[in-house]
Amino acid sequence: MTTGADGDAIAEQAAHWLVLLGADDALERAQAREGYAAWRAADPRHAAAAADMEALLDRLQGLRGTPGTGPNPARAALDAAHAHERAQRLTRRAGIALALAVLLGAPTWLALHTWPLDVLSADLRTGSGERHTVTLPDGSLLTLDSGSAVDVRFDGRRRAIALLEGDILVSVAKDPAHPFIVETEHGSMRALGTRFTVAHARQATTLAMLESSVAVRSRTGGADTVVRAGQQVRMSAAGVGPVEKIDAGSVDDAWRQRKVVANDRPLGDVLAQLARHRSGWLRFSEAELAGIRVSAVLPLDDTDGALRLLQANFPQLRVRRLTRWVVTVDLRP
Amino acid sequence: MPSTEPVLEQDFHLLYASHHAWLRAWLRHKLGCAHNAADVAHDTFLRIVASRDALLGIQEPRAYLTTVAKRLLVDRARRRVLEDAYLAELAVLAETLGSYPSPEEIALAVEALDQIGAALARVSARARAAFLLHYLDGQTHAAIAVQLEVSTRMVQKYLVQALLQCHAGCPALAPGAA
Repeated sequence: MTTGADGDAIAEQAAHWLVLLGADDALERAQAREGYAAWRAADPRHAAAAADMEALLDRLQGLRGTPGTGPNPARAALDAAHAHERAQRLTRRAGIALALAVLLGAPTWLALHTWPLDVLSADLRTGSGERHTVTLPDGSLLTLDSGSAVDVRFDGRRRAIALLEGDILVSVAKDPAHPFIVETEHGSMRALGTRFTVAHARQATTLAMLESSVAVRSRTGGADTVVRAGQQVRMSAAGVGPVEKIDAGSVDDAWRQRKVVANDRPLGDVLAQLARHRSGWLRFSEAELAGIRVSAVLPLDDTDGALRLLQANFPQLRVRRLTRWVVTVDLRP
Repeated sequence: MPSTEPVLEQDFHLLYASHHAWLRAWLRHKLGCAHNAADVAHDTFLRIVASRDALLGIQEPRAYLTTVAKRLLVDRARRRVLEDAYLAELAVLAETLGSYPSPEEIALAVEALDQIGAALARVSARARAAFLLHYLDGQTHAAIAVQLEVSTRMVQKYLVQALLQCHAGCPALAPGAA
């Protein structure tokens, strides 16, 4: 095998010839075949590199099977892995950007009002303990709860919000021509004019409807689920869960008064929400606490108080304060 | 296991003896599952053996181990997503074709696709798209040029770039790998 700079140049030439051999035009292909033969004959290293590259194309051919309109496992696999990587990168970027938001936050929020609708593209984030409401150019109101991050993408055809982490409250301005879509890793929610909250936790996304209705579709596919005012639904990797009743008024109040309303939610989700409102580190294992479900109204301004309330309600919980900055929640041994 | 260099082998054993249990505990805490933790800890040391030059200059063994282990977890998660998507689509395909590849064939294909995915992450988004449209979807250079809004020559340039990355980064596609 040839290595080094010469080898790189030779490999590049081999790749170049093979691409030309796949040209659309028959005449071009015929010329390429001649050129390729002459190039291979010129140097044994060329012939070796050519054989290498041809073997690679053969293997690729084997992977793709019969190209056409039918299922394409290789393509599906690569697309899925790519989407996964991108989501991971976005999440990491969101983490870094939280720190930057302190410095850069204000100009972004102000500048947003001046964006024209069709080219708006912005990343918005709030730090812990921070909450922001912004009027989007279409008149919709978007509130980001503490420790949340969204990408706003308005492209003239649709209004899309990617919720990367945290909780948002959306009041959508009516505009039938431009659907308003909120996406998370678990699914997408499509609205025309309505008001709802979306909470994104690691395991699941929870949608609570305050007014009107939204069509929900899981990332796993399947039919749309319509969620109406006073209902909520959870979607996870397993798909969209059953539609449950909620008290829309108390959810709305909680948003105004900085409270978390948990309506039979997993403890892990609730702790994740509290964690976003705390400076410092709230440690817990979602797996360990998986069996515990919470129905409660907890203050977000006083997360220590919220933790005390949880502990009082669940005697099996152990809340340990290592320092002011590190708190661990687990089960009593 | 490197057998020709006793010094390295000693280093490795020392690293293993001093930190394997700790790494397992760390992973167990992170993953919340003892079985997976043991698995990943094992693979972490395997990966270190495979890149044995790294053993020479380790200053902070535990930081190094967790870095390798974290990278491994990221790779595993991506691989699982890829494999799931591949199998799901394969199941649909098998219904129409009436045949199913062997587990070995599937494992080889997933391995190769994972490497192709990683190689394509090193080229531009357009080069990646051109590669997939041509070599996996079977589209012509001209059709791709229209879709990407570039010239046919540019499409060919993209294909060369992507092929070179696959050539450099995909041992599973090398001659004899199948």
